[in-house]
Amino acid sequence: MLNATALHKSFGQRKILDGVDAAITPGQITALLGPSGSGKTTLLRALALVEPPDSGIVTINGTNYNFPQKNTFTPPWPVVTVVFQELFLWPHLTLRENILLPARNVGYVNLDEALEDVIELLDMASFIDNYPNEASLGQRQRVAIARAILLKPLYILMDEITSALDIEQVHNILSLLPKLKERGIGILLITHHINFARKAADTVLFLSDGKIAERGPAGILEAPQSPRLQQFLHIVSAVG
Amino acid sequence: MLATVLDILITYHIGFLRGLAVTLQMAGIIWLVGLTLGSVLGWLGFTHQRSIGAPMRGCSFILASVPTLVFLFWLHYPAQAMFNVVIDPFITASFTFTLLNIFGVADIVRGALDDFPRQYITAARVCGLRTRQIVLKIQLPILFRMTLPALLMLQVSMLHLTLFSSLISVEELFRVAQRINAQIYKPVEIYTALGVFFLLICVPVNALALWLKHRFTRDLSLR
Repeated sequence: MLNATALHKSFGQRKILDGVDAAITPGQITALLGPSGSGKTTLLRALALVEPPDSGIVTINGTNYNFPQKNTFTPPWPVVTVVFQELFLWPHLTLRENILLPARNVGYVNLDEALEDVIELLDMASFIDNYPNEASLGQRQRVAIARAILLKPLYILMDEITSALDIEQVHNILSLLPKLKERGIGILLITHHINFARKAADTVLFLSDGKIAERGPAGILEAPQSPRLQQFLHIVSAVG
Repeated sequence: MLATVLDILITYHIGFLRGLAVTLQMAGIIWLVGLTLGSVLGWLGFTHQRSIGAPMRGCSFILASVPTLVFLFWLHYPAQAMFNVVIDPFITASFTFTLLNIFGVADIVRGALDDFPRQYITAARVCGLRTRQIVLKIQLPILFRMTLPALLMLQVSMLHLTLFSSLISVEELFRVAQRINAQIYKPVEIYTALGVFFLLICVPVNALALWLKHRFTRDLSLR
C-alpha cells in the first residue's frame, strides 16, 4: 500500500494541503478529483516524494517517510513513479531511447522483448523511433506511460495526462489504465473526466481547499454526500 | 584582377602562409583555452552563484562594455609600462582574446545551466536514473545542444577578432597583407587575396559549425 497520513504543505503563507490522508492500493485505480487549485498536483508530488510535504507520513510498502525530515532520504523510485502532465520526455532521445534508458536499470533478462510487448500494448510501432518533437501529444503520452510501465513500478501516479487531448485520444489513453491495473499496478489518476472515474475508478478522492472533502467507491459520484462535491459535479454536468 | 590576385598569392605565398600559421595558432589557443576554462568558469558560476557567479557577471559586463581594441591596447601599452615589462605582442593578443573568450563562453554556459529545464531531471529521478546517468545521459547532451549554436558563433567571432592583433605588430595574416601592400601598393588585389585566405579558414569552420548545428541541434521544442 501507498499511504499518506496527515499531510500538510504550504507555499509561503498559502496552505495547499491541510491534513490529507490518502491510500493507493496495488491493482486498483484511484481517481483524484477536485477543482483547480485544490492541491491535487501538490498531493501527487507529495505522495511520490518529488516535493515532500512539510509534515505528515508517507508510507510506501511498509517503509515510513516521516516529515519534516532532518536528513536526506532516498525515495523508492521507480517503485513509485510519476507520469507528469507535461510528460517531460527527454527531447534529445528518440521515443524508444526514452523508454529504454531508465528501463536498463531495472534488470530485465530480455529488455527488447519487454519493450516489444509494451509497444504492442500501447500500439506505438509506427512512431517509436521518432523524436518527441516529431510525435503528436497522444503519441507522447503513450510513450510516457510506456516509460513508466517498463520500470515495473508498484504505483504510477498520473497528473492530468489527458488534459490536452481530444475525446478520441482521451478514450485511447484511459482505456489503457485497466490493463495496467490487471498487471497489479496501483494507479493514482488526477483527472477531470468524471465519466471515466465513474466507470474505471475503484476509489475516488475529492479534494477541495487542501482537504479530502469526500472519499469512497466510484458510486459517490452518483450520490455525493458533501455539498462541495455536489456543487462540483453540478458544475461539471452543466459544462458538459 | 583575378590573375593579379593569384599572382600575388603565388608570389607572396610564404608570407601569407606564415601569417596564416600565426592566425591559426592564435585562434587555436583562444578556442582551446577559452572553451575549456570558460566551461569550467560557467559551471562554477552556476554552482557558486554568489561567490563566483556574481563577480563573473560583473567582469563579463565590464569586458563587454570596453571595446576590444581599447582593452588590447591598454594591456599592450599602459599595463606593460606600469609594470615595467615587455611582453611579446602575440602573447598579449592571445591573452586578451582568450580572456574575452573565457568570459563569453562562461556566460553562455552559465546562462544555459540557469535556463536548464529542471523537470527533465525530476523525470529522470522518478524513473530511477542515478545521478551519474542523469548528468551524462540527460544534462550534458541537452546542455551541449542548447549552447552549441552560441558557442560556435562566438568562436567564429573570436577568429575575426585576431585581426586586431596586427595593430600591436603581431605578424598574422592582416599584418602580412598590410606589409605587402606597403611594398607594391595594390590594395584591391591584396585585400581580395586576404579575403580569400579568410574564406579558406572560415568556410571550413562555418561548415563545421553548420554541420554540428544540423547534427546536434534539432528543434527540441514540442509541437
